[in-house]
Amino acid sequence: MDPVTTEIIRCALLQAAEDMNTTLIRSSYTPVIYEAKDCAVALLDRDHNVLGQSSGLPIFLGNLEVCTRETERRYGREVWEEGDVWVLNDSYIGGTHLNDVTVYGPIFVDGELAGFAASRAHWLDVGSKDPGGSMDSTSIFQEGLRMGPVKVYAGGEPCRDLHEVIAGNVRFPHATLGDLRAQVSCAMTGQRRLKEIVARWGLETVLAARDEIFAQTERMERTAIAAIPDGIYQASGHLDNDGIDLDVPLPVNVTIAVAGESMHVDLTDCADQATGPVNCGAAQAVAAVRVGYKLLVSSDVPLNGGSFRPLTVETRPGSMLAAESPAACQYYYSHLGLLIDLVVRALAPVLPEKAAAASYGDSMIVQFTGTDPRTGKVYVSQEATVGGWGAWEGGDGEDCLINNVNGALRDMPIEVLETLFPVRVRRYEVRPGTGGAGQWRGGNGVVREYEFCGDTSLSLWFERSVTPAWGLAGGGAGAPPRVTLNPGRRGSRELLKVNALPVRAGDVLRCETGGGGGYGPAERRSAEATAADLARGMTTG
Amino acid sequence: MSYRVAMDIGGTFTDVVCYDERTGAVTASKAPTTPGDLAEGVFAALGRVVDDPAEISFFVHGTTQGLNALLERKGARVLLLASEGGGDVYQIARGNRDRMFDLRYRKPVPLVPRQDVMEAGGRLDYLGREFVPLDEASVRAAARRAREEGFDAVAVCLLFAYANPAHEARAGEILREELGEGVLVVLSHEVAREWREYERTSSAVLEAYTGPVVRRYLARVERRFAERGLAVPVHVMQSSGGLVNASYAMRRPLQTLLSGPVGGTMGGVAATRLLRGEGARGNAICIDMGGTSFDVSLVVNGRPDVSAEARIEGYPVLMPIVNLHTIGAGGGSIAYAEAGALRVGPESAGAVPGPACYGRGGTRPTVTDANVALGRVDPAWFAGGLMELDAEAAGEAVATLAGELDLDPLLLAEGICDVANAKMAQAIRTLTVEHGIEPREFALVAFGGAGPMHAAFIARELGISEVVVPRFPGAFSAWGMLEADVRRDLTHPYFRPQDTLNRHDMSRNFGLLEEEALTALSAQGVPEDRRRVEHAVDMRYEGQDYTLTIPLRDAAEPAEPGFLETIAARYAEAHTARYGHATPEAPVEFVMLRSTGFGSFPRTAAAPAQAPEERAERVRDVIFDGAVHSTPVLRRAGLDGELAGPAIVVEETATTVIPPGCVATVDPNGFLIVKVNP
Repeated sequence: MDPVTTEIIRCALLQAAEDMNTTLIRSSYTPVIYEAKDCAVALLDRDHNVLGQSSGLPIFLGNLEVCTRETERRYGREVWEEGDVWVLNDSYIGGTHLNDVTVYGPIFVDGELAGFAASRAHWLDVGSKDPGGSMDSTSIFQEGLRMGPVKVYAGGEPCRDLHEVIAGNVRFPHATLGDLRAQVSCAMTGQRRLKEIVARWGLETVLAARDEIFAQTERMERTAIAAIPDGIYQASGHLDNDGIDLDVPLPVNVTIAVAGESMHVDLTDCADQATGPVNCGAAQAVAAVRVGYKLLVSSDVPLNGGSFRPLTVETRPGSMLAAESPAACQYYYSHLGLLIDLVVRALAPVLPEKAAAASYGDSMIVQFTGTDPRTGKVYVSQEATVGGWGAWEGGDGEDCLINNVNGALRDMPIEVLETLFPVRVRRYEVRPGTGGAGQWRGGNGVVREYEFCGDTSLSLWFERSVTPAWGLAGGGAGAPPRVTLNPGRRGSRELLKVNALPVRAGDVLRCETGGGGGYGPAERRSAEATAADLARGMTTG
Repeated sequence: MSYRVAMDIGGTFTDVVCYDERTGAVTASKAPTTPGDLAEGVFAALGRVVDDPAEISFFVHGTTQGLNALLERKGARVLLLASEGGGDVYQIARGNRDRMFDLRYRKPVPLVPRQDVMEAGGRLDYLGREFVPLDEASVRAAARRAREEGFDAVAVCLLFAYANPAHEARAGEILREELGEGVLVVLSHEVAREWREYERTSSAVLEAYTGPVVRRYLARVERRFAERGLAVPVHVMQSSGGLVNASYAMRRPLQTLLSGPVGGTMGGVAATRLLRGEGARGNAICIDMGGTSFDVSLVVNGRPDVSAEARIEGYPVLMPIVNLHTIGAGGGSIAYAEAGALRVGPESAGAVPGPACYGRGGTRPTVTDANVALGRVDPAWFAGGLMELDAEAAGEAVATLAGELDLDPLLLAEGICDVANAKMAQAIRTLTVEHGIEPREFALVAFGGAGPMHAAFIARELGISEVVVPRFPGAFSAWGMLEADVRRDLTHPYFRPQDTLNRHDMSRNFGLLEEEALTALSAQGVPEDRRRVEHAVDMRYEGQDYTLTIPLRDAAEPAEPGFLETIAARYAEAHTARYGHATPEAPVEFVMLRSTGFGSFPRTAAAPAQAPEERAERVRDVIFDGAVHSTPVLRRAGLDGELAGPAIVVEETATTVIPPGCVATVDPNGFLIVKVNP
């Protein structure tokens, strides 16, 4: 296969995925997709290998193919028909919560199956017991509409029955069906692009190029792993709790075995599937390991079907990382964020030039919902909160940055938030002195203080108080998060996780996120850096 | 008084284009930019086209002063005044990351360090109603600090100032009273009357940061020109692609930030108008490719693709700005082998060491080297003969890589160009996908030194059948400025879900904006019969965030009965065009009123280029599709009739490659039109 044609085809496949992602993001209805980029797309070959992919959310890395694979496993290859589009959101197949809906369709060229176009996007609401998703669910049946592999378009026409089922089970049918349509157009874009590519070069050439592209990528991955000394690398941490039994921390242990050109990650030593919604399907645990691997080992290597060939992941069915029905999965990502950080921590001693200390770690969700006294309409406000990132050899961690699991999410402007919801933001500022000390200091967390202008129902999901951001190479840990209702007032209380707590107009909620870990001993921090921190008010000492 | 003159002051060269109103003759020239005293280079360039500045009837220029100050971080020292409790909004910068797989991500370093941010007491609610009065003492404290510590500028951004500017306006009064003329005071609602406090703060800070430099520069240019006898106002290109006079630009210096490069897009607009006829609303993709850069912009329906916001150096700005997309690295993109694969870019050889053929020590093959190896660049004519090329070094660099990949060197050279062209074409396709338009419907307007060299190949990849190489492709930005309109953009935040819309109120607001726009145009010296105002409203479905800007017939339209149905239908149509679907039954909401005033200048057709010189034809061996073609090399000035590819057309600042199967003609405007067969 000549390298020129191979490279042109490779670029065309990547661009096809970009076009799919552009179509999806530009045409989606809900901010969670177009703003938070809580979505991913992939163009797959007919054997479910990734030809090209584009992801807004790192955590969706390389697991869209489980959906087409599972569909084919159940119904056989002959189930694929031109013009059909499928939908699936089963947590135990896709790995994430029910809100993440994968839409995929086969691509035929001259009557022959050539591949698949798939996208996954977060739907605002799938009919869980609380709007937008619950923080205290104990079974998947409380979390909303669960769809196996089902057809949503047949022969190019929408399946009315399924559309009715969806519309009847979600709280915002307009927006939800709008997002579904955006995902269908995304699949159509993928189909069109792959057809154009096959029409130009012929299927045989495209397949030969594919084999060569995968082989090239695999060679690069193997070279990257071979550069890591053989050995067993471990790291451990704890999730605070499962949101139900607030006093029971849940262990996550990662054991990585590097041997020559391959890497095996053992995740079997973790808590059993929990009562609360902190479970995920095995596919998602695999995806999280791939994110950690990508961050640390081969961030420059292109992503495709050759990417993870030398990486194997072992999970234990019935554990928190490979949950089975009816485990609740709404907050499937808290332990995955921890897992990603632990992969980095385990390998940090042998990859110091790429590693960093831990970050504040989780999405730190503030959600409030009620009836807006200004309009009489029901609203749901859900925000993730920024925090401090870890330092590394040569640099301080960034202050007030969104967590790793959350891709390109931007915070909600005060002016937009106050316009849309009955709330005021009293302060939004750096939380000084919360980054871990070190020769390079950890980034600082943030303070965001709300005053509610109407009675509302408050839910919180703040994590990492048991295992705050650790330092590396002698650097200190970051401060843990802290959330106070009505600080300084009588009856003030500290909370981290709570579901649907009634609060009153005039109540104040002060949310403080954690800092990142430091790197290197604090006494080696330069005098200039210390002085600059003081001048900028970034430290408290 | 008969010359219209445009000047694009770039980092290296100052390009000038002059139009003689009596004869219709157009001339272009260039002189080295003189960074120490720009006026020197400006007058040197001017001297090549006009003898006496008093003869100039219209003068426009593009400046990169503000942008350079930003790029080199040599802007003003700014004190930022924010609302109490929100002082860190500018440091937090919405907390997002641009790169997914980066444990060591850092945001762009704020232009105002945290210790230079002060807070002012006082607060408005979401409708702009005051619930805490402005604490004037805190404003005076900021003024005192600015004075004592010698700040050059104060930027003020208070929450909800877009809804009610009263607090900001009062703070501005106090600051100006306390600080006098010496310190620039920038109020966020004057820079960008839109919601989102971080983006508005960033816009105000950028204006404060670049403003003093731009103001000093414009004042100097005006003075120097006046001394030389220029009798008309100096006009400046804005980032929106419209012109304003210097006295306005001094008040709103941020608008000039991308003054230079957008000239090319406006040239594309003008070229489309000339090609398709006035009002024909043609589409064009403008590609500006230099030795180390590749910028793409779009002309859609005869108009520049303008966004209401952009990011510059990672900093958001809320202002109308022509969308310029920088892709890859142009001719400087390095080709290399990786795990047996051929890759081209994005790493660039830059100007130093530059491509191997520059002979400055570069040894890795670039796209330019590949073009040289293929014979597509005539070394004798590169950069108008100002630079000698080392064809041997280019060949060696390509041959070394060919050895690594086990390929024939000439096949590799062509492969490098093919990969580069394919990548550029794919990136262009994604841009058009964002607009819901297929690239086939566009003409490809190619300029810059290397644009015309790659254009036919890129067009073929995109299924485009027409490439347009304008006259003076190296000075096309300046030409575009000469053809642009005066433009003033006005906005009025107008957040209304459809059930709270008062049609008459919306119409009345548009009426006020129209008056304001007309006044602004007359202040720019635009006579009454040459002014027009266009109105549009930003809309979305409830729950969406992205808006589409939907044009209105006029300011009175919203008052008509049935307006809501009409506008919702128009929105659904636009939504379908852009995204492929719509939800006609879903409720819409209005976000922003936009009124734009245009003032046009009289234009007369350019005369054809001078009579053909001798067809100084030479023949070179050039590789196309793996085979050697004996290819004529022609001077552009001498072209007439049809020219079938393969052929190479050279002129002072650019080389046009016409591959086999393509046919070029020269149209009455002097444009070289290349018909590309698929």
